[in-house]
Order: sequence, then C-alpha cells, then structure tokens
Amino acid sequence: MGLMEHKFSDNIITSTVDGVINWARRSSLWPVTFGLACCAIEMMAAGASKYDLDRLGIIFRATPRQSDLMIVAGTVTRKMAPVVRKVYDQMPEPKWVIAMGSCATSGGIFDTYSTVQGVDEIVPVDFYIPGCPPRPEALLDALVALQEKIKSDKVLRK
Amino acid sequence: MSAMVKDNLSEIVTVNMGPQHPSTHGVLRLVVDLDGETIVGVRPDVGFLHRGVEKLAEHRTYHQFIPLTDRLDYLSPLSNNLAYCLAVEKFFDVKIPERAEYLRVIFAELARAASHLVWIATHALDIGAMTVFLYAFRERELILDMFEIATGQRMTSSWIRVGGIREDVPPLFFEKLKEFVSIFDDRINTYENLLTKNRIWLSRTVGIGKLSREDALDYGVSGPIMRGSGIDFDLRRDEPYGIYNRFKFEVAVSDGCDIYSRYLVRVKEMRESNKILQQALDQIPEGPVMTDDPRIEIPSHEDVYEKMEALIRRFYIITKGFAAPKGEAYGCVEAPKGELGFYIVSDGDTKPYRLKIRAPSYVNLGALEAMAKGHMLADLVGIIGSVDIVLGEIDR
Amino acid sequence: MNFSDLVKKIEEKFPSKTSSYEKFGSRFIVVDRSCYKELLRSMKYDFGFEYLVDIVATHWPKRKEKFDIVYNLFSVANKIRVFVKVAIEGDKIDSVVDIWKGANYLEREQYDLVGVKFEGHPDLRRILLPEFFEGHPLRKDYPLKGRKWFNNADEQGLGLKFSR
Ligand code: SF4
Repeated sequence: MGLMEHKFSDNIITSTVDGVINWARRSSLWPVTFGLACCAIEMMAAGASKYDLDRLGIIFRATPRQSDLMIVAGTVTRKMAPVVRKVYDQMPEPKWVIAMGSCATSGGIFDTYSTVQGVDEIVPVDFYIPGCPPRPEALLDALVALQEKIKSDKVLRK
Repeated sequence: MSAMVKDNLSEIVTVNMGPQHPSTHGVLRLVVDLDGETIVGVRPDVGFLHRGVEKLAEHRTYHQFIPLTDRLDYLSPLSNNLAYCLAVEKFFDVKIPERAEYLRVIFAELARAASHLVWIATHALDIGAMTVFLYAFRERELILDMFEIATGQRMTSSWIRVGGIREDVPPLFFEKLKEFVSIFDDRINTYENLLTKNRIWLSRTVGIGKLSREDALDYGVSGPIMRGSGIDFDLRRDEPYGIYNRFKFEVAVSDGCDIYSRYLVRVKEMRESNKILQQALDQIPEGPVMTDDPRIEIPSHEDVYEKMEALIRRFYIITKGFAAPKGEAYGCVEAPKGELGFYIVSDGDTKPYRLKIRAPSYVNLGALEAMAKGHMLADLVGIIGSVDIVLGEIDR
Repeated sequence: MNFSDLVKKIEEKFPSKTSSYEKFGSRFIVVDRSCYKELLRSMKYDFGFEYLVDIVATHWPKRKEKFDIVYNLFSVANKIRVFVKVAIEGDKIDSVVDIWKGANYLEREQYDLVGVKFEGHPDLRRILLPEFFEGHPLRKDYPLKGRKWFNNADEQGLGLKFSR
C-alpha cells in the first residue's frame, strides 16, 4: 500500500477485486424459501422478529432465479428429490447449499423406504447443520460460517 | 401449463402450483384448472413429504415411537404426543397422576396457541399483511421459550410420555406462564386490531372459500373448519379426554362458512386456550408426574442405583419395551388442526402391529376443491391458508 | 342413544350378520362381508353417523381373511363413536365414496399404502407415493428400508442416481 498512499483524494478505499466482490456476495445472501418440513419452521423463526436474519442482509426470495443460497430445511423424499435438484439447477452461479437438520444431512430418524438418505446425493452441500431441528442460532452460525467461506473465494482466478 | 379448448370463447387452462411455492405452507402441489381466472377444478398432489412414519411405527417399541409423533404436525408437537399416549394408555387403563394431567393440558393448550400463531402469521402474510407475521412470531417465541425451560427443546420435545410426562417442570416455567397468560389476551387484541375490521382483509376473506354445513360433514373435515361451518363440535367437550371436563371454556363456532369465519374461530380459540391455561394454573396440585404402574413406568435413575429389581425392569423396558395386550385402541385429541387420532392394532407384542394416524389436515385437504371451485386464482392462496395444512401430517 | 341401543337396532335390521364388542374403550361392530355396505349406509342415514372419521386397512398375511377394514364413525348429534369392522378374503371391497365424500382421500390412501382395491371409487390412484413405486409399503412383506425403487424412474430427466 505504501506506493499508493496519499495518491488519491479522500474517501477512496483501495482493495482487491476479489475483496469487493466477495464483500458484496457475502453481505447479501438471498436464500430461496425452500421449507420442506419441521426444520423450515425454525428457519422461519430465524427470519422472524427475535432472530431477524434481515440484519445480516439475508432476505428470503420466493424464486430460485434471484437466490444464491439454498437452505434445504427438512426431509427430502424420493418424490421430492427431482424438485430439489431442479430448484438448485435454476439458481444462478455462484450458489451455495446448506443442509439444515439431520434429515437433510443423513436422513435422520427416517431410515425408511421413501426418504433420501442425505441431500448430498442430489446436490453438493457446503454446510451441514446437525440437530432435529437445529436452533435458529445454529442456522445463524452456519450462515456466518458461510460468509467466512465466501470471503476466501477467488473470483477471477478459479 | 396446458390448454384445452372448451368452446369457441373460453378455454380451460391447467396451471401447476408448487411443490416449491411460498404460499403452499410446505411441499403441497396443486394442479389448478382455470377458466380465465376462475377456478374450475383443483387437484392436490401430496406425498412430497411421505416419510413412512406408519411403517416405522411397526418397527419401534411403543416408547420409541413418541419422538416420531413430534414430527407429524410439527407446529404443535405436544398435542401429537398427547394423542398417541392416550391411545397407548387405553391398552393399560392406567391412572395418570393429577399433576401430570394438568401439565398435559397446559402443554396441549400452549401448543394450540403456538400453532394458531404460526397460522395467523403465515395466513396474513399470504394475503399481504406482513406486520402480523412479526407480532405473532414474537409471541410464539415466548411459548417456545417456555417449552425450552420445561423440556430443553424448543419444538420437538417428546415430553408427554405414556403414563404421564417425562419430568416435572421447574418453577421458572410457571412464572413465565403467568406472565404469558396475563399478556396474551392483549396481544391477541393487537392482531385483531390489524385484521378483524381491516377493509382489505375483509374483502379478501368474507364470502371466499365457502364450505356449507352439509359439505363439511360429508367431507369429514374437523377442527376450526368444521366449526367455521357452523357445526358445534369439539372433542375436548364432546368426548372429553384427560381432565378437560373440569375446565370452563366455550367452543368457538361461527356460521359464515368462509375464510373469515375460520379466522374468527381460531382467534377465539386462542382466547379460550388462554382461559383454560389460567384455570389450570389456579388448580394445579403438587405431586408426582409419572404413574407408578409397574407395567409401563421406567424406573428412575435413583432407584436403579439402589434397587436390583428397578435395574432389571429398567433394562427390560428400555431394551425390549412393554407389551400391549391384543386388541385395538383409539386415542384422539382436538389438535389445533382438528381431530388427531391414533388407531393402534396390537398383536400382543412390544411394537404396534399396525398404527394408523388419522391426520386432520389430510382429511381437511380433501375438501379443498369444494372450497375453491368458482373462486379466483388469487383467492386460492387465502383458501389454502385457511385450511391450515401441515404437510408433515398430511404425508406422514 | 347409547351403544347397546344401537346394537339392538342393528341386530333387528341385520339379523345374525353382526356382532359387537367393547374393548379398551372402543366400541366395535363386526359385520359380515355380505352386507357391510348396507350397514354403513344405514349407519349414516338411519342412525345419524354423519361424520366418517377414518378408514383403516390392516394386512394379516397369515389369516384366511387377508385384510381387516375398519370404519371409524362418529355421530355428532349423539356424541358416540363406533368402529365398524369387516374382514375380507381378497383385496377387493366396495367403495363408500357414494355415502361419504370424505372417503375419497381416505380410500386412496389405504389403496396406496396397503393395497386394498376399493371398487367403484371414482379415482383410485396412488396418492402419497409416486406412480412408479412398486408394491404397497404397509403390507407386512414390504421391507422397511426397501429403497430399491429409487432408481426405477428418472421423472424429470435429471440423471439422478441414488446409492444409499
Ligand atoms: S431434522 Fe428433525 S426437525 Fe428437521 S426436518 Fe428432519 S425430523 Fe424434522
């Protein structure tokens, strides 16, 4: 920074392109509303008055086309699996996936004839949240961890 | 989308809605036939959350099944626990301790309030009133905090057990409950101020989603939809379980047969729940919370450390479970959504031979077409909201 | 009207076709296969059981009558709950949709999960499971973890493969 110091007028901050883009990406994570089961209620609670996801710039969008994060909150069954995949495919890059709850992680207590044993059979997952259901705090923790992860992404050099 | 020409002027258009749709309250898929914007047919497609709970029940002991009941109607897990435990208790004819009976009522009514709060929040949100969502979830958090104090879990607590409840609640629970009971009525007024006389709310709900009294009976709907169609029926009063016959409360009935009257019924029910909570708070006695019937009681840790028989029995019940006598038993409660029943067939084993869950939302959904026909597509969202479905219990 | 009155009246109407018992707080009327539909019809129209609560089918592979069908009825006027039970040998039984409209979904569910065919049902398709599912999960011979059917179809052409 030494060379560039005091070369520009006030109010100009120097940074890297990666830094700026990652800052923008991580401060406006828009998850697609994708409640599947019980965990979705805790996801809603995280978005409501007490936990208030909006203050992290996280605003639920009702369409995958405008979202960059999919929180798979609940049990994925065989009948639902293609839909999950389709919604994921419809999201624009870059995109991330959080598997919320033990059902999405591994099938949980539903080791049966109709439940997919973990959503990672269908879509790639960035974070797994244990719990049945996980508390809203746990979801917040995953979101913050995801933001940290995005921070270290390389945008120009893949 | 597909189109089919009916005559020269109009054509029937088929539109898909869901299963990923924000206003279907989960993973409900609807295939809607439209003539212009008017609905001529609705075919719900369910099963996107079918997890095989009934099959799983045949492979779990009576005790192990309780956590699975939590995940049926996940908006009011404790009512489900209660319904299931009532069914199993029928086999043994056990006497539940007084204090446990009262705590069961308290839990069930709190669960009803919590469930109705989610309903009012999401229903209003669907129709376009965002504010109610934030208020209602604020109160719901109060209830969940109480559950957490009592059980250590916010939602799926499995706290009601066969023969009583798992453990007594700490004194802090009652402090919080008193506080909640004293403010809840006032908070309901807040929602009512926002909605009951709101012009937009009225024009979106009055006269929409009609279900006549005869149709309501014919379709077998229960709960607030039944009472919103003018049928004065509530299992808490008409087939009392537990100690509900000791409480004074009114059954909320409204005969508008539309979305608005279902709204009125549920709001009144929250107030009545509050009354029941108040009475339960006044009357609750001290005492044990788990039956000492040796057939089903799980001996406490203290006993296990000191008494050999207790150790053996605990080992036996935990590993093998208790066997129910041959026969069929049915236990049901007035859950927030309607009549929730568990029909258990036992062949004398420690696991149910067949367990059938009578899920209120599932039956109520059957009447959706009758409610939606002839209305506008935009009203469908309101109608689904007024049915108050939970997919966890529809699909099981 | 209480249960014993009801049983008496049913006895008069359907002599020696029914029996009844009360166990674990539930009241049962067991009816012969030959006249169960007439009985159900008169339960609604003569005895006031307007509210069909539930239909349960149970699979008994070792018995001669392979299925038990139980109708859970409630009379809102008299506040009494009665279970009507009928045992069938094959897997076919007449539908009661023409008596209670609510039976539509209940019967479809039992068809899907237990595999009892309700004859005369207007739209007997699977409801909870997808069309390409094979068998009926609540039959006793269906394994709890039978997930082999997962790869039977690729409905949306997404190339999904399930291994667990
Ligand atoms: S992890 Fe638990 S709470 Fe979450 S969807 Fe599965 S069963 Fe429900």
